[in-house]
Amino acid sequence: MLTVETIVQSLASGLLMGLLYGLIAVGLALIFGLMDVTNFAHGEFLMIAMYLSFFLFAFFAIDPLLSAPLVAAALFVFGAVVYLLLVRFAMRAKANAGMVQIFTTFGLAIVMRGLAQYFFTPDYRSIPQSWLGGKTVSIGGIFLPEPQLVGALVSIAAFAGLYLFIHRTDFGRALEATREDPGAVALVGIDKNRVFAFGWGLGAALVGLAGAIMAVFFYIYPDVGASFALIAYVTVALGGFGSVFGAFAGGIIVGLVEAVTALVLPPSLKSVGIYAVYLLVVFIRPRGLFGSM
Amino acid sequence: MTISRRDVLLGAAATAALMPLAARAQTSEVVIGLTYPMSGANAQIGVDAQRAYETAADIINKNYDFDLPLAKGEGLPGLGGAKIRLVYADHQGDPQKGRAEAERLITQEKVCAIIGTYQSAVAVTVSQTCERYQIPFISADNSSPSLHRRGLKYYFRPSPHDEMFSAAMFDFLDALKKKGNKVETLALFHEDTIFGTDSANTQLKLAADRGYKVVADIKYRNNSPSLSAEVQQLKAANADVLMPSSYTTDGILLVKTMAELGYKPKAILAQAAGFSEKALYDAVGDKLEGVITRGSFSLDLAAKRPMVGKINDMFKEKSGKDLNDNTSREFMALIVMADAINRAKSTDGEKIRDALAATDTPGEQTIMPWKRVKFDDMGQNNDADPVLLQYVGGKFVTVSPAQAAVAEAIWPMK
Repeated sequence: MLTVETIVQSLASGLLMGLLYGLIAVGLALIFGLMDVTNFAHGEFLMIAMYLSFFLFAFFAIDPLLSAPLVAAALFVFGAVVYLLLVRFAMRAKANAGMVQIFTTFGLAIVMRGLAQYFFTPDYRSIPQSWLGGKTVSIGGIFLPEPQLVGALVSIAAFAGLYLFIHRTDFGRALEATREDPGAVALVGIDKNRVFAFGWGLGAALVGLAGAIMAVFFYIYPDVGASFALIAYVTVALGGFGSVFGAFAGGIIVGLVEAVTALVLPPSLKSVGIYAVYLLVVFIRPRGLFGSM
Repeated sequence: MTISRRDVLLGAAATAALMPLAARAQTSEVVIGLTYPMSGANAQIGVDAQRAYETAADIINKNYDFDLPLAKGEGLPGLGGAKIRLVYADHQGDPQKGRAEAERLITQEKVCAIIGTYQSAVAVTVSQTCERYQIPFISADNSSPSLHRRGLKYYFRPSPHDEMFSAAMFDFLDALKKKGNKVETLALFHEDTIFGTDSANTQLKLAADRGYKVVADIKYRNNSPSLSAEVQQLKAANADVLMPSSYTTDGILLVKTMAELGYKPKAILAQAAGFSEKALYDAVGDKLEGVITRGSFSLDLAAKRPMVGKINDMFKEKSGKDLNDNTSREFMALIVMADAINRAKSTDGEKIRDALAATDTPGEQTIMPWKRVKFDDMGQNNDADPVLLQYVGGKFVTVSPAQAAVAEAIWPMK
């Protein structure tokens, strides 16, 4: 049943989903690039953002699209606080620093999941009515769901903004400089902790943005981050650890490969394609497609 | 620390003093283990199950005027009025954790019987562990047909399995066809663990036997982040009947994705699971007017059997929900188990097993539309008749089989 229509539809769906995967993953890449810490609670950041959108909708009837900036701002604060209260101390470990960081963020993930289950109950939530929810644009028989379409646009805008921010602003340059050599920036009077806290905030805000958009078309429950986090790790590894542009390209590749695999293999094997491409990249270019390490 | 002779004597004396207490505790209390997903993707199932078991334990332990085994009087008369105590274990939907938790329940918590597990894949390992320790196991809400065919002596399932459910679904389709509806092509959509695969295999076989054409058979990975590729194939196939076997998460995403990709199936006939859950209808109920799901329970029964309504009210007070396909089966599983322990007059695994094997409870003494509860030599109750329920105007209405139906099915769905 391989018609032109199904192929185009698959590629379109894959591209939209891929841009969203990129937006979910970029925060992870940013934080890793900045300070070599992998945030294993990244999926839980996404989960919190989705719940936040849900509660803003349920209690104040604010449409997820309107509340997206609020959610991103809240996640910014949350990310910075996580750095200042947890990660900062984990990084001081004298021995086995890598392990300590892994356990810290992994522990945070479990705590966040547990608290979410306790306070929000494990029931599945979703936002039944919203401006975009369930709406679809049809172009010549190809269906583009509006939530994903807007998500893709937001993702492109976020990446463009991020690019300008890193390359055109002083703080962005400080971010880059801290990443290059944290010792040297201290000599020119840049507070390393402030930059790192800002980096965590920014990374969390980006995943917050993704969560706010996903709340429109996905179900919400305490474990929802798990499957997206896994894709985010693959995306970042594929695109190149630490590379913001790599996360963008990695997300699109993952989305397209997933869609194309589902065309030729049984859908239950669609993640096989992603991991096969990932393995290939690891063999040929272990630092990822756009990694600079 | 060195242990002196005096310490040993003291210890022995203390043990002796506590002995009668321990012996008393054993007869005044019967401990039953329940293993469910209490965290992870299906944690809500475990939470709801807990409420169902609490409701059943309440009815057993206190005095209620219901025509249900053990409802009248307090506790188990066969064990001098002993009360039921429930111990829960979280298997997180993972077969290996299920095995470990079952072992812990048996060896540490000293349970005399285990009930579980929602996911069929977990029931496989839990029931094997029970068999090894000779502890009876009741599959309350597992519907995979392969479960009772493994020759286990300690395995029992009072409720129907997916072959019985699927047969009821095809009987219904046959009847529709006879009335002149166009029901020729089917699309199967199922998740990739034992529940979905067994369900689809059964449906494939029945479709072949009864002359239906399966135009799509889509197996997907459960908890997928996206189902657009899958839905696209369903849309291309555009079958007369879409038959999903999905848990809640995938069910919600399926319905949302179908709407997004502009696919309106002519009819949906679901293998329960997610399609019995309130969360799914809260999320996407507006797109599901007229969906039909199989079930083992029907609230319509309350009109004929008032106790069903009263027990539903008790459950609703605890959980805020009506009894559904899952929670009703869980409720009955504990009643059946407690009734067997009562008749065994013992907490010995083998004696309870023999009592379970001798169970013969008429359907009127259950909350289900079943003929009776009586197990065959593989531990399956073949007299548990399934029903089909249609979601109309925000409520489920029984539409099949004829003897339980309260309304004609609306076909195709709106």
